[in-house]
Order: sequence, then structure tokens, then C-alpha cells
Amino acid sequence: MKSVLIVEDDKWLAENYSRVLTGAGYKTTVALNALDAIDAVDDQMPDAIILDVLLTGSTAFAFLNELQSYGDTGVIPIILCTSLASELSLENLAPYGVKQIIDKTIMTPDDLVVALSRVL
Amino acid sequence: MDEAKQGSDQVFDGLSSISAAAHELKSPLVLVRQLSLMLENAEVSETEKHRMLRQIVLTSEQALRLTNDLTKVARLSDAMFDIEPINPTQLCKDIVCELRPILQANNLDIKLKSCKHPLLLVANRDLLRRIIMNFSDNAINYAGSDAAVEIQIKALSAGKIIRLGVRDYGPALSSDLWRSLRGRLLKSSVPINSRPQSSGLGLYIASQFAEAMNGKIGAIKHRDGATFYVDLQASSQLSLL
Repeated sequence: MKSVLIVEDDKWLAENYSRVLTGAGYKTTVALNALDAIDAVDDQMPDAIILDVLLTGSTAFAFLNELQSYGDTGVIPIILCTSLASELSLENLAPYGVKQIIDKTIMTPDDLVVALSRVL
Repeated sequence: MDEAKQGSDQVFDGLSSISAAAHELKSPLVLVRQLSLMLENAEVSETEKHRMLRQIVLTSEQALRLTNDLTKVARLSDAMFDIEPINPTQLCKDIVCELRPILQANNLDIKLKSCKHPLLLVANRDLLRRIIMNFSDNAINYAGSDAAVEIQIKALSAGKIIRLGVRDYGPALSSDLWRSLRGRLLKSSVPINSRPQSSGLGLYIASQFAEAMNGKIGAIKHRDGATFYVDLQASSQLSLL
């Protein structure tokens, strides 16, 4: 079973992502901030990460930099799921392991499953 | 020239406020939409369905509080407010009752820490209630799992000032962010960023309400969270008794 780390500071939105992905056969872990996300990566080495951009404590970019600092974590595929999608460029973020950017404001629950099936 | 600059500043402030309001309202709308899509399309158990519907209601209420506060801020300069002696303990007890459902739904506890001595402050009941609700919404968003939110009431400056604070036990603010927040709290003419993912609109609204009652808001950094507070004048009525 593939494992997915959900990094999202809205607890109920994270819970809903987890509900969708569990239903699709993924094992999920939720981190509500970047520090907890780093711990979760250390503990579990997920197969993919779904990442919000604006997080409590620090932004997703600090977390992306941290992941890129190590060879094993730098290759984990990242799916950004953010309401700032229109302001971000996949081309600029690809070097940080970002494989897809999903716009939270127009996404459907299935978009997460489709995105994961593409990167895994 | 100065008038032109003032005019452009006003336009900028207007646009940044609209932008901040739009940003702040996106999050609850995104959640409500996602939960509604799930209820519409996915097979969910009755228990899950009930939980999701409850989350939709509570999230909508939180967003409505924000829109109501925005309307109130827009009308602050034209409005007349009744300023009266208020028992902060009773007001906070009412707020605790009002917040309990959303706190329970977030697995959070709420505590009220008050002075043993009776206190009275001078404020507008509605504006003060909105400030504390605003701080509490902020605390609910940033409190850690299974943590508590504390509403605190203290007398300062030999009882001349009453401080009402809302303490969360969320992630600590970084020093840079803290310095930025402190600076903005001192001259709060623009939205204040409380946490990186927030536009700070809630604190801006609270600062406008506090100013309308000759009070001020502030924040205290803790190792494990923050306290956002409002300082208001104590009422002299008790000393006359």
C-alpha cells in the first residue's frame, strides 16, 4: 500500500483529503505544520506528499528546501494543493520535486487521486 | 500633490483590504465546497455524513462572523456606540458557551481564567464580544491537537486597565515574524499578519474595534503559542461602591 503524507493546516480539510485517499487505497498521515511534516518524513518516508503552501509556523517553501537537502527525501514527489495556484509556476517549482499544482478553489476530491496515480 | 498621494493611499488600502478579505474567505469556502462535493458524490456512512454536515455549519458560521465584522468595520466611522460598564467575566462566560460547539468539533478544550475580584470595564458589548470571538477563531485555527484555548482576564496598572486575552498553544511564532507582528501592532493602519498563512484581517478588525473604544490590542509570544489581548479602561463604578 502506497503511503501519502498530507501537509495541510486546516484540520478538517486534511481530514477530508485523508478520507478521499484512504477510500482510494492509500495509507495517509496528516501533518498540520511544516515541523510536524519534517518529523513525519523522517519517521515514515512517504511515497508522495500533498502540500499546502501557506502553513502555520513557516511556508511550504522552507519545507521543500529541507526535503531537497537530503538525497532520499529530495526525490519524494510533491503535489502542491493550494489556493495560490494561479500565482505559482510548475516550471519554477519542478527543481524542488513539485510534480503537479492543484488549485484548491476549483479542485474536486477525485483530483487528488488522479494526481497521485500520475506521480506514483 | 499630498491630496493625490492620500487618495492613492486610500485606494491602495481599499484594494489591500479587499484582497485580504478575499484571501481570508477562501479557506472556509474551499472546505465547505470540498465537503459538499463529498456528500454529493461519495458514499459516506451516516456518522461521517453527520460529522461533515456539522463541519459545514460551523465553518459557514465562522465565515459569516468574518463578513459581519467586515461590515461593522466599514461602518465604524459613521456609527455611534454605546459605551457602558461591562462585567468581563460574565461576557467571557457567554463567549465560552457560544464557542464550545466549534471547539468540541476541533477536539479542543476552552478555559476561562478570571480574577477573583469583581471587575468592570468600559466598552461596547458588541464590539468587545467580536474582538474576543475574533481572537478565539484565531486560536482555534492555530491550537495544537487536543490542546486548550484559554480566555484570560487580568487587571493591570493598579486596576486602571483590564486586559482580556486569548491564549493558544499552537506552534511558536518565529522571531522574525514576531518582530514584524509587534511593529505592525504598534501602528496598525494595515492588516496585521498574525501567522504566515493568515492575511491578518481578523487582527486588523480587532484593532479597529479596540480603537473605537479607546483600547488597544497586542500580542505576547510564548514558547508554545501566543496570547492576543485587548486592553480597555476599567470602569470607576466599582470604586464608588
